[in-house]
Amino acid sequence: MSTLKEILTRRPVAATIRLTVPAGGARPAPPVGPALGQYRLNLMAFCKDFNVRTQKYKPDTPMAVIITAFKDNTFEFTVRSPSVTWYLKKAAGLEKGSGRPGHVMASSLTLKHVYEIAKVKQQDPYCQYMPLESICKSIIGTANSMGIKVQKELD
Amino acid sequence: MSLVINSLRSHFFKHLLCTSTAAAAASTATALIFGHRTRGLVGQSRFSDSVFFFSERYKLLSQLASKTATFSTSRSSSSLETLPTDSYTSPYLSVTIRCQKNVADMLSEALLCFGANSTSIDEHDDSEVGDEICISSIFSVSQDVKESISLAVDSIGLKEIPSYDVVMHDHTDWIKESQESFHPVEVIEGIWIVPEWRKPPDLQATNIILNPGLAFGTGDHPTTKLCLMLLYDVIKGGEVFLDYGTGSGILAIAAIKFGAAFSAGLDIDPQAITAAQHNAALNNIQPEKLFLSLVPSTGSATFTHEIVSKPTDRQHLNDKGVFTETEKFHVVIANILLNPLLDLADQIVSHAKPGATVGLSGIISEQVPRIIQRYSPFLEDIKVSKMDDWACLAGFKKINLG
Repeated sequence: MSTLKEILTRRPVAATIRLTVPAGGARPAPPVGPALGQYRLNLMAFCKDFNVRTQKYKPDTPMAVIITAFKDNTFEFTVRSPSVTWYLKKAAGLEKGSGRPGHVMASSLTLKHVYEIAKVKQQDPYCQYMPLESICKSIIGTANSMGIKVQKELD
Repeated sequence: MSLVINSLRSHFFKHLLCTSTAAAAASTATALIFGHRTRGLVGQSRFSDSVFFFSERYKLLSQLASKTATFSTSRSSSSLETLPTDSYTSPYLSVTIRCQKNVADMLSEALLCFGANSTSIDEHDDSEVGDEICISSIFSVSQDVKESISLAVDSIGLKEIPSYDVVMHDHTDWIKESQESFHPVEVIEGIWIVPEWRKPPDLQATNIILNPGLAFGTGDHPTTKLCLMLLYDVIKGGEVFLDYGTGSGILAIAAIKFGAAFSAGLDIDPQAITAAQHNAALNNIQPEKLFLSLVPSTGSATFTHEIVSKPTDRQHLNDKGVFTETEKFHVVIANILLNPLLDLADQIVSHAKPGATVGLSGIISEQVPRIIQRYSPFLEDIKVSKMDDWACLAGFKKINLG
């Protein structure tokens, strides 16, 4: 629920831009450059801001960022951690998920991996109020759809 | 349509002809293109033939372009030209997709997963009638646009692929657009930063003329302003200044304008060094007063022969080319990021004389405690200045360090 003051001072939005940028690696080059340049946004300011806010992640993890560009050439952005599938693939050491999930298992992970991934996901702006257990359950569901088995301990 | 293809072809051949070793490849390239074209026209597809032809051509172009790129980099590894400018000279594809409003968000997320570099949705005015909205997406030249779109549409459950257009753009378009947003800015009273293509509003004041190009440092970021204010306070005349992470060279040039005797600028990005050299020339600064060098991103500060070519510049480097100016600088400022500041703390401080001023920026308020903790063995009397959420630390190097 936005407050009345927020609604009155809300700036007119020009566009919503979605990008994937490596953490700490934003430069005024593709992919950032062409996407933001056409809306006349200050590229340097975005790159610096984005790099500073992603310092706490491992360098070069692909972060999803959504930028709201306003008509007066200012902007706001939110950064989300990489997708669960990316984390799972990295943890299991895979390039792609299994071709036939449910029938052919590509790899397996322990509950400890799932817990670590859930902790990172909880820092996302949208997941902060979810209990850790439900985040873990949804990660296990994604893992099953990729053909990754989750076990209590690795044999 | 034919205009775009012609420009494509001419651009492609220009790229080929630039490298001498690719002359042989050119003849095979033409043969392949003509052979492919006939196949493309005969084949059938759901979309217009031109679009199908287009995507096949892009795939081919990219394969050949990457082959010629490997030729050029292996041959001329020691020349300046092969420094990474390839990403700016190769074109990119802009795809405009028309789809229903309610699926636009999901489709753009899916496109990102399947190979798009970015997607953007323009906000519609309420006066627009109809259910359709345009998503403009950017792909690199080597991507197969048709396949990416069909995979994305499949993954969100749409029955049919929406109509789309593909246009090839040059990087100069958005570079020009972003340059439009630079205006002269007065950082401190009497000090203006003016872009190269605009006139200074006050000719009496100290004007620093900049063309930032693709490097950091235009003067309107809070951290640049904080560092400039620190520099203005500290430089009284005749000091020797080091700018670690110089970007466009703005701090090094400003120091000379404020009265420093000598400035040195280091950066890990070759684009930054080129931009800084260009800016030094714009401000009529002699090479004896300003030294710029490239440092590798890890390890000690060695230099590469290509950037520093003047013999006078070599005096700062020993036989192996290591930047050995330890304990020589009266003022050292590093405006980079948190992680490099933490990793390079020893190096940055080693360049400063005992009692010298060391300034650190490029951090937000919540990162300040970590920097203080890392640098307190070296610096005393640390002061923090803030602007918006950005912070700048300044301290003096301890006189008696072990």
